[in-house]
Amino acid sequence: MRAYTFTQPRSVREALAHADAGAAFLAGGTTLVDLMKLDVMAPTRVVDINRLPLRGIKLDRDGLHIGALERMSDVAADRNVRRDYPMIAQALELSASAQLRNMASIGGNLLQRTRCGYFRDVTTGCNKREPGSGCPAMTGFNRTHAILGTSDACVATHPSDLAVALVALGTDVHLATAQGTRTVPLDTFYALPGSTPHVENVLRPGELVTGITVPRSMWAPHSVYLKIRDRQSYEFALASAAVAVEWRGRTINQARIAVGGVGTTPWRLPVVERALAGQLATADTFEAAVRTAADGARPLAHNAFKSALLRRTLVRAFTVLAQSR
Amino acid sequence: MTVSPLGRDIDRVDGRAKVTGAARYSADYPASDPTSKMAHAYLVTSTIARGSISAMDTAAAQNAPGVIGVYSPFNKLGLRPMPGIGENYAPLEDTQVRFRGQIIAMVVAESSRQARDAAGLITTTYDEQQPRTSLADEPRVPAAGPPGQPPPSATVLAPGVDSIEAALAASDVVVEATFHQPMQHAVAMEPHAVLAEWNSDRTQLTLYSGAQLPHLGAMAAAGRLGVPPTAVRLISPYVGGGFGSRVMPWYDAALAAAAARQLNRPVRLVLAREQVFTVVGHRSAIDQTIKLGASRDGVLNAVSHVTDASMPFVGYRHMQPAVDTSAVLYKTPNLSIDQRHVMLDVPPTCAMRAPTEAPGSFALETAMDELAIATGIDPVELRLRNYATAVPGTGLRWSSKHLDECYRVGARRFGWSARRAEPRSRVDGHWLVGMGMATAIYPGSRRPEPIQARVQLFDDDTAVVSSATADTGTGALTMLAITGAHELGIPLRRVTPELGDTALPPGAPSVASAGTSTTVPAVESAANAAIAELVTVAITSPRSPWHGANREDLTYEKGKLHGKGRSMSFGRLLTTVGRRNVEATVTAQPGPEATQYRYHSFGAHFCEVRVNRYTGEPRVTRFTTVVDIGRVVNAQATRSQIVGGVIFGIGHALLEDNPLELDTGRLAASNMADYMVPVNADIPDLDVHWLDRPDPVINNLGARGVGELGTVGSAAAVGNAIYNATGIRVRNLPITLDKLL
Repeated sequence: MRAYTFTQPRSVREALAHADAGAAFLAGGTTLVDLMKLDVMAPTRVVDINRLPLRGIKLDRDGLHIGALERMSDVAADRNVRRDYPMIAQALELSASAQLRNMASIGGNLLQRTRCGYFRDVTTGCNKREPGSGCPAMTGFNRTHAILGTSDACVATHPSDLAVALVALGTDVHLATAQGTRTVPLDTFYALPGSTPHVENVLRPGELVTGITVPRSMWAPHSVYLKIRDRQSYEFALASAAVAVEWRGRTINQARIAVGGVGTTPWRLPVVERALAGQLATADTFEAAVRTAADGARPLAHNAFKSALLRRTLVRAFTVLAQSR
Repeated sequence: MTVSPLGRDIDRVDGRAKVTGAARYSADYPASDPTSKMAHAYLVTSTIARGSISAMDTAAAQNAPGVIGVYSPFNKLGLRPMPGIGENYAPLEDTQVRFRGQIIAMVVAESSRQARDAAGLITTTYDEQQPRTSLADEPRVPAAGPPGQPPPSATVLAPGVDSIEAALAASDVVVEATFHQPMQHAVAMEPHAVLAEWNSDRTQLTLYSGAQLPHLGAMAAAGRLGVPPTAVRLISPYVGGGFGSRVMPWYDAALAAAAARQLNRPVRLVLAREQVFTVVGHRSAIDQTIKLGASRDGVLNAVSHVTDASMPFVGYRHMQPAVDTSAVLYKTPNLSIDQRHVMLDVPPTCAMRAPTEAPGSFALETAMDELAIATGIDPVELRLRNYATAVPGTGLRWSSKHLDECYRVGARRFGWSARRAEPRSRVDGHWLVGMGMATAIYPGSRRPEPIQARVQLFDDDTAVVSSATADTGTGALTMLAITGAHELGIPLRRVTPELGDTALPPGAPSVASAGTSTTVPAVESAANAAIAELVTVAITSPRSPWHGANREDLTYEKGKLHGKGRSMSFGRLLTTVGRRNVEATVTAQPGPEATQYRYHSFGAHFCEVRVNRYTGEPRVTRFTTVVDIGRVVNAQATRSQIVGGVIFGIGHALLEDNPLELDTGRLAASNMADYMVPVNADIPDLDVHWLDRPDPVINNLGARGVGELGTVGSAAAVGNAIYNATGIRVRNLPITLDKLL
């Protein structure tokens, strides 16, 4: 860890004024402090935003509004979230560990860095950590890496469970800079790695995530987040599926689907959504709908199983949802 | 009336200290002299796996804030390797790089953060060579161990049989299977750490460092530092997990001590978690091939077990997975074991959780399951048909063996009769359900070397029982107290146990699950000797009421001397005669019975797993283990040991894996998130039961070892259950969902 300047502003304006080129915002610290200890991130200034008034979990006609500083565990425990957006609570509760969920913030969760072992190891190259230094994951150990949205420069998965659920639900992210505020759909917030894997999202220099809004919908209350991994807790997803369905009897009126653990960003599957729309919820429907789910996958030496796993995770999620209808 | 604590559920005597944080682990010790300011060390490790260091720029580190010293091959500390103990080289003494993650420099500074930050400023230039990393491709050599270890290969053939191949060819049914398991790590919670302090003229060194063998730790440090063994004391009362990783001393203690001697200050060195993965040893990657030849009714005619284990060029652990598994478990007229090493440029290996028996039993017990399927015989029945009453190829019998009872009791407790032999025949919702079983076997003998114990009786009716074994979290300290209370017939609360300090009489090595079976007879002898000393005081002290009596007139029972119509507690007697205490130190060692019998602990595992029909992840949902371990000293600790062992087995089967990059020699996992062991959510309630069968030979109490037994066979039980659930046989550990899709 390198020496840095530490500031604790009390207002968003003050925080944004401190956000110079080498600055990093500190919320729960579960990603930033970890990576600073590993020398992966070395900000010259740490701006502790925990005193900022970016709190609140509110449900109104427009939907669910969550302040960027709300803790994962508090959002997961919220009665309205559990009732109207069950997949959000599930995605949160399947993340990390209880200790981490008590610290980690919603804003920070959306910005967490990949768990790629090469990204975290400064003795190896990594295009995301150090542009142009290469991607050892291509030829190294890549069982947990992405098969969708990859490039020759980077195959790291996006680690967030929450973001997968939020993308499926059409969430907006609220952002602020000293110049003003703006709102961006989470679906377009994340950037594919391409040749610039160090650019992970559309945030401008010094821009701060202030909150999110999840719209009301007919499908959010009928949703599930399914996370598949080797052990039952404290592990990132090998594959995950966030599925929300608007039912008309036993027929799927429309569905919203995003998957995690397989993509370089939270991955929408509009083709699968269309294949389900208007169909009777049967095993045959599900199997047919997922046939193309992993199309375009670029498997590596150790992660080729993820194409099949992705399809099966989806079928299982559809089945769970149909059985709990 | 004092009831002996022996065999009951006894809380750890140090439990309160541990949960309140009062217990001091190695890195918790302050400098013993508050005026001598402690310095902090941080290691730098190599980023190539083979080659040499051509240059190292330490100028920036030397000029960094708080830095006191930077040591490297260009500013040596003068350590010497100790032949036969741990690694075969001393770090910082030459520029050779032998594996990735090797110690190549050490920074000492006023604070640990300053040391770490300065370490990051060192730049190293290498002449790099291609590392030898492939277990499959590099040449094999015999896995010959140090003197005293069994030979790496052995063959037993029935009269008239020419070779093991001929015996296999003549068998009705042959099962052949090859297994692979990756490198595994102990991942003890406490990272390896040391505080090194010299006295003022730098002739006496005190080390605070977790050790499974405190006396070996002190001796190794002395040899590496070039001082007499008597110059080093090692203090290690609390150890945050051993699992084999604290058997052989690594170089952390010697490095810190050498810097402390040079700087004339106490030096603390704590390994970073990622450094623990390479500076400290791991369990070798192992390939194994088993061939079983049997009659159609499942009676074994031939067993062949060939193993190839990675052996680092730097040493040290000799892997012989067949010795205490295939060579002893089943009755067979023809037996061949062949254990080989493959020399690689990888970090050192070490003992780890039933080091050879856990991998060996995974292979053998999986192959036995395959034989059960090939012959159509129930897996329990198959094992009973091949039950050994003497070690194959010898007439040697066991001191005590009730494995058949373990199978029967375990099968009943578990509900084995409900199992369907046909795979995929039980489905519960989205889950395929399967059952599997396997045998556990682990050496149960006392350590052959002499050890000591001391018992002191005090005038306040308390006793102190001392023997410098280690408590790695197992409950050894409580075992000492229980044994002392039992032998002296006094309440547990009046016994103070002591261990983990080389100033105490040298005790049992905390290895091979032999701590209890080795310590118990020593404490018994020491208690008897202390009582004899007490009697001597009673008949020779003028103020004693028994002055002038004959020894035979006195008896000792439950803390009191009785004789000539009167009784007196030992404390009262000592007070009366004006003595603070009596004490006795004894040396104990097994007698001729050690070689007249074989000593093993036994057990049977029964496992139910569920495998998701869609996504393939295996989950253990029920587990029953029944063991035959002789007399139990502490029921609570025994249960915990078996439960812990089974959890290791579940992790061995399903999770533990550190892939080695063949081109770079880099290990993929370097932290406890990426190197996976089971979490609580992965473990159901484990049903543990032991037979009440004290061993009639091993020691007077009849206590054999238990610690590592639960780890042996449990991985095979999981894998066999997965086969029963899915019809998929995975011989390449860990059994992860991608192999079951």
